[in-house]
Amino acid sequence: MSFYSPVRTNASEVAESDRLHLLKYAEDPNQCSIDTYVQRGGYGAWRKALTSMKPEEVITAIKDSGLRGRGGAGFPTGMKWGFVPKDSPKPRYLICNADESEPGTCKDRVIMERDPHAMIEGMAIAAYAIGSHLMFVYIRGEFAHCADQVEKAMNEAYAQGQLGKNIHGSGYDLDMIVHTGGGAYICGEETALLNSLEGLRGMSRIRPPFPAVAGLYGCPTIVNNVESLASVPHIINRGADWYRSLGTEKSAGSKLFSLSGHIKQPGNYEVELGFSLKTLIYDPKYGGGILDDKKLKGVIPGGASTPLLTPDMIEVGLDYESLPEKGSMLGSGAVIVFHEETCIVWVIQRLIHFFRHESCGKCTPCHEGTAWLEKLINRVESGKGEEGDIEKIDDICSNILGRTVCPLGDAAVMPIQSAIELYRDEWEHHIRHGKCLVKSQFGLK
Amino acid sequence: MAEAVTKKAPSNKATVTLTIDGRSVTVDKGTTVLEAARSLGIHVPTFCWHPKLKSVGSCRMCYVEIEKMPKLQVSCATEAMDGMVVATDSDLVKQGRRAVIEFILMNHPLDCPTCDQGGECQLQDLTFAHAIDDSRFAFQKERFVEDGSVSTFDDVQIGPEIMLNRNRCIQCYKCVRANKEAFGEFDLGAFERGNITEINAAPGRQVDNPFSGNLAEICPVGALTGMDWRYKIRVWLTKTVSSICPFTASGVNTLMYMDETKNRIYRTTSRRNDEIDDGWLSNVSRYAYQVVHADDRLLTPFIRRDGKQVEATWDEALDLIAKRLSDIQDQKGCVCIGGLVSPRLDNATLYGFNKLMRHVIGTNNVDYRTEYRMLPQTPEDHYQAACSQPIRISDVDDSDVIVVFGSDMLKEHPNLYLRIRKAFNFGAARIFILNPYSTKASDVAELEMVYHAGMDEVALGAVCLTAVEKGIVSSDETDRLREAIAFDSASAAALACGLEPDHLELMARAMAEARKVTFLAGEIISRSREREPIAAAICNLNRLFSINTKGQFGILPGHSNSRGAHHLGLAPDPPASIKAKLRSLWGQYPDTETNTTDSMMVQMRKEEIDGLIIMGANPVMLYPDRAFARESLEKLDFLVVSDLFETETTELADVVLPLSSWAEYTGDYVNLEGRVQTASKAIHPIGDSRPGYAIVEAIADRLENTLYTAEDYRRDEIDTMLEVDTACPVPNLYVPSKGGQDEDDAEYPIALMIGDDPHHRGHYTEKSASLTSHVGEAYLELSPDLAAGHEIKEGDSVRIESPVGKVVLPARISEHIRNDIVFVPRNFPSAPVTSLLMRKRRIDRVRISKVVR
Ligand SMILES: Cc1cc2nc3c(=O)[nH]c(=O)nc-3n(C[C@H](O)[C@H](O)[C@H](O)COP(=O)(O)O)c2cc1C
Ligand code: SF4
Ligand code: SF4
Ligand code: FES
Repeated sequence: MSFYSPVRTNASEVAESDRLHLLKYAEDPNQCSIDTYVQRGGYGAWRKALTSMKPEEVITAIKDSGLRGRGGAGFPTGMKWGFVPKDSPKPRYLICNADESEPGTCKDRVIMERDPHAMIEGMAIAAYAIGSHLMFVYIRGEFAHCADQVEKAMNEAYAQGQLGKNIHGSGYDLDMIVHTGGGAYICGEETALLNSLEGLRGMSRIRPPFPAVAGLYGCPTIVNNVESLASVPHIINRGADWYRSLGTEKSAGSKLFSLSGHIKQPGNYEVELGFSLKTLIYDPKYGGGILDDKKLKGVIPGGASTPLLTPDMIEVGLDYESLPEKGSMLGSGAVIVFHEETCIVWVIQRLIHFFRHESCGKCTPCHEGTAWLEKLINRVESGKGEEGDIEKIDDICSNILGRTVCPLGDAAVMPIQSAIELYRDEWEHHIRHGKCLVKSQFGLK
Repeated sequence: MAEAVTKKAPSNKATVTLTIDGRSVTVDKGTTVLEAARSLGIHVPTFCWHPKLKSVGSCRMCYVEIEKMPKLQVSCATEAMDGMVVATDSDLVKQGRRAVIEFILMNHPLDCPTCDQGGECQLQDLTFAHAIDDSRFAFQKERFVEDGSVSTFDDVQIGPEIMLNRNRCIQCYKCVRANKEAFGEFDLGAFERGNITEINAAPGRQVDNPFSGNLAEICPVGALTGMDWRYKIRVWLTKTVSSICPFTASGVNTLMYMDETKNRIYRTTSRRNDEIDDGWLSNVSRYAYQVVHADDRLLTPFIRRDGKQVEATWDEALDLIAKRLSDIQDQKGCVCIGGLVSPRLDNATLYGFNKLMRHVIGTNNVDYRTEYRMLPQTPEDHYQAACSQPIRISDVDDSDVIVVFGSDMLKEHPNLYLRIRKAFNFGAARIFILNPYSTKASDVAELEMVYHAGMDEVALGAVCLTAVEKGIVSSDETDRLREAIAFDSASAAALACGLEPDHLELMARAMAEARKVTFLAGEIISRSREREPIAAAICNLNRLFSINTKGQFGILPGHSNSRGAHHLGLAPDPPASIKAKLRSLWGQYPDTETNTTDSMMVQMRKEEIDGLIIMGANPVMLYPDRAFARESLEKLDFLVVSDLFETETTELADVVLPLSSWAEYTGDYVNLEGRVQTASKAIHPIGDSRPGYAIVEAIADRLENTLYTAEDYRRDEIDTMLEVDTACPVPNLYVPSKGGQDEDDAEYPIALMIGDDPHHRGHYTEKSASLTSHVGEAYLELSPDLAAGHEIKEGDSVRIESPVGKVVLPARISEHIRNDIVFVPRNFPSAPVTSLLMRKRRIDRVRISKVVR
């Protein structure tokens, strides 16, 4: 059996005993079958939670573990679960956000394809913790293979009585629905996801109310990322203290990083939080260095929406505190590497094209601002920029930043502002000389 | 002024106190910062906010700065909190708003000279207010064009009355939100994403729902404009006059835009009254004004000479009326004269009519319900009681259980229909609908219970028996109740009316447990021959569940002034309290026999009534037995008809008097709540027409009997009549509620329901071009199965036959209707559907067949 997506993981590089948990069996196709999964201890945490823990105890364990959301915002997972009103008479819902569409990010995909039961088990525990009897997984439309894998795993779980009525004799009922998206990045944003799931146009909702209070169909709803949920069974099995022992003081646990761009060994790597970005890029066990041994030009450390880092900034721990100190963010953990022959204006042009295209069309600064930015950046990139364009771009960014309904607006402009700040000479060269600095330096066409 | 409703005590909600621009304000908890600012008279600009829709915070125009919050906040979606310190015009706020306008103008076509929103465009106004006169956007603007062809104005017609210009759209989504959230309609949507997001009709559809006119009204720019108004006149050249919708019993508040020099009304918009309409107009209310300017209005009186109606002067007409009426009075006595009047006319007209008939002429042959079926000569105690209960439209909002019984709410009371939707979408209401056919409100209903046609009172009886048998309510009069219902058990009653026992129980429990119940019955009940026993069943239900002590119940009056007609004593035999008032005002009250519309017709046929005055009513078209009505009126010696138009009834008249419409004089109307409202004069009477009150006063004058000694007396007398402190008492005993049933008729197996189309009301709206552009002809609505059984396809001509008549109409197939029922609208003179009806029937039955050409 071969994998649908031949993405490299570090599971093959490290002895089984030394491997972390999320990708421990990622190179073994049998991990997808419930028998193998159970043999390796799978659904043990689910049984444990269901039969020996109260929902509040589960929440406490997750709170104590220090697990933070792996979908991008890094919100403490246990705390989020605790926001579900205790006294609401309405049904509650648990949603696994598997819309993974941020350019560069492909970590949830690897979990769904190679360890789908871990995600389902995590979802089940989370559902139990918040008192939900119906859970959804919202899978990116293009991920047809993931949806197949997850659906297959779900059917196995039902057949084995891990889902359904009166699970493990506990009297607890839990059902699961697999939903595939229609192909919009914005539907990964949790409130747009809720709209989409309700059959409405995928557009973000204003908060408050937060989904934990009024989410799907106006009922208390928890939305968590695939990776966050897949981490949950391990925490329940091995305890919060064990999880805390991984990572740094404030960023506990391990995380997947999707390494891409001008890198020798692109792939998904699981490392403890706080792991050095430089090591991830250069260590032969991970990235193995820059393609063609060229010089590094810059890194986007956390997915298309995070500010750039220059080579002198890469000695940084990959965690929720260290990256902000360098002016960037951990985001979804998509590390995109560019070598010296990359034009930053071109990089930004690609990014703004994406965000302009994906703006849901709700708020004025985002839908109009990204369109204007794209036009200006195209003009600068093509060498037709005018004096003052850089300032204008920067000013338009400021008129978007912090002024939109959802974070997509911020996501669109933060890389631009950092690229102007860090690589201003390239922008100026495009405008003053009507051509690309990098291309002239390297004699590229 | 009199009001039949009592004011609600102010609620003691929790409050918060905050500071806005240095001024402190205390507001209810849950109020937005925007509304808090507005309560101080501080205007925060908005595009996407709408007082009756959920805030979405999308346009970002309403920014404010709030202390301790680093970012600008949108005030329309930020809840006011205790201790907040808000600035609405700081430099940062101004900068933020300017940036928003700059963004909006980026791709905006700036085609103001050719845009009909000019003068009432929020974008124009706010651009002006922020002194923006330059753009940093130096690119070709994005432009939507239709199928690659660039028409001059890029306009696309997306519905019978709606023009869309996508280039002017600022993506506030108010249109789509209102359509969905408030109206429950899905014929308009947003397509694509980001800056190329496009508002448009749903694929393959037209925006033609019964509330579509609101979309043009709430669009802040010229992206959606109304076909009836655009390019006809500039808004600043019009004068506005406040008015009332003449076609809805809610008395929706409107503004008419008119040009004095042309004596013409150009459009109607809402004059928002949250207690009645929330600012929404049904298309009927919006486009009603076109009736006024229809080009076939009657302009002069006509007199029949040698069998033909010829033009006459008012003097000639009035002289003739006086002479003929006096002749009849002299020869046969005053009981040989009768009067029928439309409950759409204002108080002064109705009261004057009553006084003319009863006081001057001295007859009790007076009725205003010329569209309701014959009623055996029983007193209508329960019906009148149920019709005069205090109802407050706004009390629907926070009712936790709403029951709709025998009413096609959308067609009868469009604004109540919206209220019910609102109670569901914004409140916590559980909605139960009990009807003989499925109606449009069913999508918000927890349960829609469709009972067999003609089983109205049995359905309610089944609810009562279920409640008693299941111990849901306790009653020490169970035997009486059982006796009244005439069924031994709930299951027997359920079986007879075709309802599920589980459903009955669910509804009974909901009503019993509710904190506040609203129970509304409608025209399906009023039009029934058995309205009195059904009303008794409603009163029984009210008694068992104590609805009126924890909510409200009643039968909704059908027309814009039905309630006024009731209070002013226009029923043939008004309740004793009303009669007593009339007697004391007039010093006497006739003691002659009383006759309803139907019994008057019977008397005409026996030549016991020879003279008839009709004002504003069209019984030949709308009485539920056309042949009977026509033949009866033909027997008259002398018929006077006053109307706006030539109608099936004026055709038979000896004298036709041109009547002014509601827009041509100031009049008061009593809405279904008992609220007295004024429609002001917008234009001078068209042609030689006269207001109804002036006509009845002129007739009285000619009969040498002035109705009032002075102008004030009219108002005083009407005010006295409208001082209603209590509704007619609800009988506090269980009374028999079993109505009569018709025999089944094997030859005619299908029940026929007749009512209004959602875009029409009665016989006038057919004159409104905008309304007929939505629905311009009658149709037969039938279920897919019934259609398939007769090999009928959408649009096919179908022959509908009853024992007394035959009509051919195009088929309209609807998922919503049962297989044993068809529906036909009664609004189109070209389709005389009342000719299928028989006045003595409880349920009209027909058979259908496809017309093969
Ligand atoms: C534009 C946008 C796209 C997003 N896409 C995703 C996504 O694909 N997957 C995801 O898990 N979270 C995504 N998020 C974050 C979610 O809104 C949400 O914060 C997350 O699912 C919460 O899960 P967590 O707490 O487990 O991280 C996105 C956010 C934004 C603003
Ligand atoms: S920021 Fe962009 S994507 Fe997010 S709600 Fe606003 S328009 Fe939509
Ligand atoms: S058409 Fe008008 S109401 Fe609708 S979104 Fe555009 S600007 Fe707003
Ligand atoms: S009015 Fe507040 S965001 Fe539009």
